[in-house]
Parts: sequence; C-alpha cells; structure tokens
Amino acid sequence: MLSTLLASDVVAPFSSPKIDYHALAPELVLAGVIVAVLLADLFLEESKKWVLSTIAGFGLLAAFIPIVTLAVSGHRARSMFGGAYVVDTYSLLVKGIFLLAGYVVVLLSQNYLEEGDYYQGEYYFLLLSSILGMVMMGSSRDLVTIFVSLEFLSIPAYMLAAWRKRDLKSNEAGTKYYLLGVFASAVMLYGMSLLYGDTGTTILKGIGAKLQNGSMSPVAVLGIVFVIIGFAFKVSAVPFHNWAPDTYQGAPTPITAFLSVASKAAGFVALINLIYVAFPHGGDVFQPMIGVMAASTMTLGNVMALRQTNIVRMLAYSSISQGGFILMPLAVAGGKSSGNALTAIVTYLAVYAATNLGLFAVIIAVSRKTRSGEVSSWGGLFSYAPLLGVLATAFLASLAGIPPLGGWVAKFGAFRAVITSGTNWGYALAIVGAVNSVIAFGYYGSLMREIWMKPVPDGDTAPIRTPSSLNAALMICGGATLALGVVPGIILRFSDIIKL
Amino acid sequence: MSQLLRSYLTVAMFGAIGVLLAALLLAISALVRPNRPNADKSKVYESGVDPIGDGWSQSQIRYYVFALLFVIFDVETVFIFPWATQLERYAGFGLLEMGIFVFVLLLGLVYAWRKGVLRWV
Amino acid sequence: MLISEFLLLGAVLFCIGVYGVIVRKNAVLVLMSIELILNSVNINLLAFSLKYNDISGQTFALYIIAVAAAEVGVGLALVLLIYRNKRNISLDELSEMKG
Repeated sequence: MLSTLLASDVVAPFSSPKIDYHALAPELVLAGVIVAVLLADLFLEESKKWVLSTIAGFGLLAAFIPIVTLAVSGHRARSMFGGAYVVDTYSLLVKGIFLLAGYVVVLLSQNYLEEGDYYQGEYYFLLLSSILGMVMMGSSRDLVTIFVSLEFLSIPAYMLAAWRKRDLKSNEAGTKYYLLGVFASAVMLYGMSLLYGDTGTTILKGIGAKLQNGSMSPVAVLGIVFVIIGFAFKVSAVPFHNWAPDTYQGAPTPITAFLSVASKAAGFVALINLIYVAFPHGGDVFQPMIGVMAASTMTLGNVMALRQTNIVRMLAYSSISQGGFILMPLAVAGGKSSGNALTAIVTYLAVYAATNLGLFAVIIAVSRKTRSGEVSSWGGLFSYAPLLGVLATAFLASLAGIPPLGGWVAKFGAFRAVITSGTNWGYALAIVGAVNSVIAFGYYGSLMREIWMKPVPDGDTAPIRTPSSLNAALMICGGATLALGVVPGIILRFSDIIKL
Repeated sequence: MSQLLRSYLTVAMFGAIGVLLAALLLAISALVRPNRPNADKSKVYESGVDPIGDGWSQSQIRYYVFALLFVIFDVETVFIFPWATQLERYAGFGLLEMGIFVFVLLLGLVYAWRKGVLRWV
Repeated sequence: MLISEFLLLGAVLFCIGVYGVIVRKNAVLVLMSIELILNSVNINLLAFSLKYNDISGQTFALYIIAVAAAEVGVGLALVLLIYRNKRNISLDELSEMKG
C-alpha cells in the first residue's frame, strides 16, 4: 500500500486536455448568454427588463449557428476528454431540437410573463440553464457527464415549476416534481455506482465493452435496472409517472410545455446514450423491462386522458401516453432493428416537440380570452378564431397520427422498428400500440368536436388577439409539423445522420 | 485472531480506558465537592444571558439564507482543494480553468448582493 | 481490503434512505433520507475507486457532493415556500390536484 502511494508521487508531467472549441461552441455561447441575462437582470431598471427575453431568444438562435457550421463541416465525430464528451451528427441533431424547442418556449413565455406579475430575469436565466443542461446531455458519453447534465437541466426546472410563489398549486407542482426527481436521480446514481463497480470505468464505451449478454454479473444487472428506473421517472413512464399530471397542471403553462417536451426529450436522449453506447449487449436485461413499461405507459396514459375535463391535465396524460410510444422502439434496441429504432425515437422526439409545443401555444392563446382550462371552454373555437381552430385541429391530428402530418411519420417509424425486430415481444408491443392509437382518438377527437361542432359557451365571439411572439411560435410549430409529414426527405435524411 | 480484529481490539481497549478515566475523575469530584443545589444552577446555559422562551422557538428566517449561501459556497471548495494540491503541475491552464470556475461562483455572490441578501437588517 | 464491508454499509444506507423516502410524511425528513441515499452512493464509489485504483470514482463522488448541496438548497427553499403558504410541511396534505 505504502509503496504504491510513494510510487504515485512520481507523476507524469501534466498536459492540458485538447479542447475543440468549435465543437463546444454551442455550449459556450449559451453559457455566455446565461451570464449576460443574469447580469442584465441584476443591473437593469425595472422598465427595461423586457430586454431579457430578447437576449434569451437571440442567444438561443446564436447558439444554433455553431450547430449549423459543425453540421456542414463534415460527419467526423469529435471526441473530447477521453471520450466523455462526443459531438457527432446525432448529438448535433438533438441539440438543434433542444435549442429550437427552447426558442419556442421563450416565445411562449414573453407575453405570459409580462401580463402576469412574475419576476422576469430569473425566469429566463433558469430556462436557459435548463436548456444548456439538455444541450450537454446530447453529447454526454460518460456517467459523470450524464449525471451533471441531468442535474443541470433538472434543478432549474424544479424552480420553474414552482414559479408562482403565492399559488399553492404551483408550490405543490414544484415540490412533487422536486421530490420525485431527486429521489429518481439518487436511485439512478446508486445504479451508476454499481455499474462503475462492475466495470471499473465511467466512460460509456468502456462499460459497453465490459458488459456482455449472458455473462453479466448480478451487480451489473442491478446497476442497469436502477439506472433505467431513474430515467423512467424523468420520462414519466408508468409506474413512475405520478408526478407528471400534478406538475403539469400546477406549473405555469409555458413551463408545462417546456417540461412535457424538452425535459422529457432530454430523458430519452440520456436513455439512448446509455442503451446504445453502454448497454448494447444488455438487451436481455433492459428489453423486457422497457417493453412492459412502454405498453403500460401508453395504455394507462390514454385511459386516464379519456376521463379528464381540464385541457392541460388531459395533455399531461396524453404526453405520458406519447412517452410510451417513444419508449416502444427502445424496447427492441440492441436487436436486429437497432438502427431503425434509433431513427424512430429521434424522429418521434422531433415531431412530438413541434406538435406538442404548437398545441400548448394554442392553449395559451385561447386561455388569453377564455381564462379557463376546461375542455368545454374551447366550444366553437373555429367560429370566432378560425386560424387557431385549424391549427389546433392539425396539432391534435398529428398527435393522433393522422396522415399527412408529422405525427403519422413518427408513429409509422416506431411501428416499423418494433415489427422489423422479428421478435414476439415486438409483435405484441405493436398490437398494444395499435390499440392505443385508436383509444387516443377518443380524447383528441372530443377536443376536435368542441372546436368544430359545439356552440360557443358564453356566446362571446370576439376574435382572439394574439401577440406577435405567440404568432411566431404557432407558425414555427405548425410549419414544422406539416413539413415533417409531407417532406419525407427530411426523415430519410435523419436515418443517415443518426448513428451511434 | 485476524489482523483486522486485533486492530479493533486496540481501539476497544483505548475506548475502555478513556471511559474509565472520565468516570473515575467524575466520581472523585462528586465525593469531594460540596452539594448545595438551587434554581439558578439548573437553568439552561445560554452564553450567560437569561434564557427566554423554550428550546423549540423558531429562529430568524434570515439565518436560513446565510446558512444556504454558506453551504453552497462551502461545498464548492471540494473542487478547489484537489486543484490546489496540484497547482504547480497544472500551471497556466489550471489557473485559467479555476479562474473561470471562481468567476461563475462570484456571479452567484453578486446575485445575492444585488438581491440584498447580504445586508443584515 | 475492506471492499465488501463498505459495499454492505452502502447497501444498508441505501435501504434506510429508500425506506425513509417512502414512509416519512415530513418534507424535511424526506430530504434527509435522500441525502442518505446519496451518501451510500458516495461510499460505493469510493470503495470501488480504491478497488480499481482509479481516480474517476472519487471525482464522481465530488460532483455528487456538490450537486447534492445545490439540490438541498432548492428543496429547502420549496419547503419554506409551502410553509409560508400553508403553515405546515406535511406531504400528505399536499393534494390540491386530483384525477
């Protein structure tokens, strides 16, 4: 013992790690913008605080520029810090999704915040921090990096969920989210410590090389199970979904949109990184587990959504059930259709982000007039706000998977992945998924019926005035939902890009 | 007996001697000292000031903010200590990295200062 | 080396922590139970780090310590918020929303 200690005293000279600043540029730009927003909030007068949302919006777009330049500069993966942080085409794609989703959330927040009397500076500071965590998650290929990114994106989100300080519902939303989130990450950490203990490394690639089907030690199996449970909380998979409906209902609506899209997508990205890089040979362990979770998640989410009368709560359950569909291809990862499954998940995440954010934009726009979250308040929406009515219908149809909208392509990809796996598991999952797609028409259809066929509840048919930022958000989401559905080239291109 | 248990035996003996010694001293002083109890002597000691209220009174909320600031900044030093032990090896690169780290921490302090947390009202 | 003893300690702490999170109704006690789990993780990581003579486990533990402090800061702030609005921090009574 002493001899090894003495020996370790003679250390090799230190050489600083090679840092590829181009590859890190999106993160660096975001970090700079975060500092700028914080300082601007502290030193600007109250009347000039509107600048903050502008800085945040332009900052997110500025961070998008290096992603584009990286994408055109070649498909070579740039690996840093001994393989702990990898920038490749897949990670660039998910980073792009996070940044655009974040930009839309900033657009949604602008008037929502200005018209309610909430603090502003911290809001954008926390939102940007959370987005930075997500962007980092896209490149994380090491247990430590994944953990740090996860906490980086979660901790600001806990505070954002509890944003309305005086409102007990918002407090409850934040607390439930916080307690379950922290508990989940603690369980996940225990699993990570076991994985480290079994393989002796925290780099995902190194773990993947050590874990082999059949010859896996019980410690490693336990580690994989715990890590997956930890992220199942994050993506609100049944039976770890309890926090989601309450948190979504109690949080401010733009934050609900953010949590149900970006935060959930980040959880899936982490799962993809872990499963595809660290456990590619652990299919025996995670496939049945994720399969059961996927089936029960979509079923329970759908059944509960049918009973809801509050739109946001209905969408909360709808997003749980959509999470089940995203989990579905993951249940056949590691098998024959591994590549298909990966493309399907990322496609689904992109489409789901555009569609769900769009639907939340409509909700925010409509509730500016109705001041209500009940399904019945949408009655006759088409008659006084035809554009919003059509957009809402398009988003609902996309969520339900009706062609030619984006949701159809996403669902098609997910089903193709499970069916081409050629296992009985895959076929069973496909059947459960098909039944659930039909159930989902029940509640998506009831909202559509309100919009088109029901009378206006209070007879007030004044048109809805939407601010330009909300219009921009609606346009971006609507355009993306339509484009992903009718331009198949985009998705075909995805399958070239998304490789791990 | 294994090496492990032998070393624990040493610990146990050491502990026993400590307890015995303390008990012995207390016993001797109990025998020797005069015993005159009164109410003031059995009062709770509170830095020489007369205690007010019971032990479960609520403490000032502003202590909480200070405690929180202390915990956060205190814990950040876990990153500074390992760096400090290898300061010369890491040279300029290490200095730059730590500079960035401390700058970000300072932002937190500036935030607390601007929000008036540091002022004792 | 005493690897298995450390792992046993870690496992026991983990179980106590999970039990505490599930059973306790007081928000602060739940936070303390979560800290127990995080410490069990740290013990595990340090034990494995010694076993492999590999520094990354210790680095991981440092990150966990720092992040846990930040988490508890946020958690206590949330508890305080609820106390201000409700004069009570029992988790059972947090049920504004149902369904």
